[in-house]
Amino acid sequence: MYRSTGFVSFVLRRFTGVALVLYLIAHIWVIGSVNGGPELFNARLATVQTPAFKLAEIALLAAVVYHAFDGIRLMIVHYFDVTEYRKSLFYAAFVVSALLTIAGGLPILLFALQG
Amino acid sequence: MEPPNGSNTEAIVRIQRFNPDTDAKAHVQEFHVPRVQGTTLLDALHWIKHERDGSLTFRRSCRHAICGSCAMNVNGRNILVCKTPLEDQLDRKGRVTIRPLPYLPIIKDLVVDRSTFWKEYVRVKPWLVPPQTTPAKEFRLSPEEVAAVHNAETCIMCGACYSACQVVALNKAYIGPHALLKSFLRVLDPRDTIPGERLADVGTDEGVFRCHTIFNCIDACPKSLNPTQAIETLRKLAQKRAAFEAARVERQRTIADPIPVPAQSGSEGER
Repeated sequence: MYRSTGFVSFVLRRFTGVALVLYLIAHIWVIGSVNGGPELFNARLATVQTPAFKLAEIALLAAVVYHAFDGIRLMIVHYFDVTEYRKSLFYAAFVVSALLTIAGGLPILLFALQG
Repeated sequence: MEPPNGSNTEAIVRIQRFNPDTDAKAHVQEFHVPRVQGTTLLDALHWIKHERDGSLTFRRSCRHAICGSCAMNVNGRNILVCKTPLEDQLDRKGRVTIRPLPYLPIIKDLVVDRSTFWKEYVRVKPWLVPPQTTPAKEFRLSPEEVAAVHNAETCIMCGACYSACQVVALNKAYIGPHALLKSFLRVLDPRDTIPGERLADVGTDEGVFRCHTIFNCIDACPKSLNPTQAIETLRKLAQKRAAFEAARVERQRTIADPIPVPAQSGSEGER
């Protein structure tokens, strides 16, 4: 196993990408149930309103934000000759993602704790 | 059990061993090596082979970081052991760990099978294809054209980048950073007559578009080359292949002509 910041970013990119696909499937499962009537929709919506799913929403936010900023980082590398700043760009994407996850995750967490 | 520490006079060199005739899987063996100023990792391996275990197997040749034979994985990084001082790689406990290049089949101890490395290299036609009619005297390249390929020219084919690449590890059909760097060298060489064919060969999902921009090739290169940037350049050129090919044909019409000297500017030119 050859460890490096590039490898960490690659693994995170793959992991968050697969997580987002799984989320989309779950999202369609819930939203698509509207065709089955209000009872079915409300029942499925209730299953994703539990505290565990609130925590999962924070993880979802982290995945979305990291995947987006990692994509922006890669576009910068593709279009500009900036490979010498590869580590700084990775850390920047990671730190911005972490800050936005905290900023967006705290209200979700507080809302979940309030019940 | 806590492994033993080295001392001021001895380093502990931990080497991954594997003998296909007797071992089911690789294991790490420790050797105590004298810490002498100026000792390189290759010197340490030679000392072990001569003084402790003659069966230790590794590749080496020039000892001057130019043949590319002695690339190994030291403390998790791919480096040339011939140019790396032992002292620089010792941890606080006086230990260093040497393994064969990762992601490649091990033949014995520190020797790996580089068949796929060379197969992919040949795949990009690494040789120059000059015009059928060569100039009577010489090809004339501008300093800018030489500077553009200088980075790629100094590759020593050690395999450090290839075996550090996780895309190679996951997909053996991937051409690999070493061969793509060589393709970059030929594509940008104004003397080469088949840049379009080359770009068609590497502009595929087994070539430049398979790279996941992990940057391990840059981190691993003992010559501080930049295969990732070469791949990025090839990606851009592959998307405007026809225009690039036409520009090359035009350039070769004047390749034997003297390079125009830039006009002097400012006060210097007024003297």
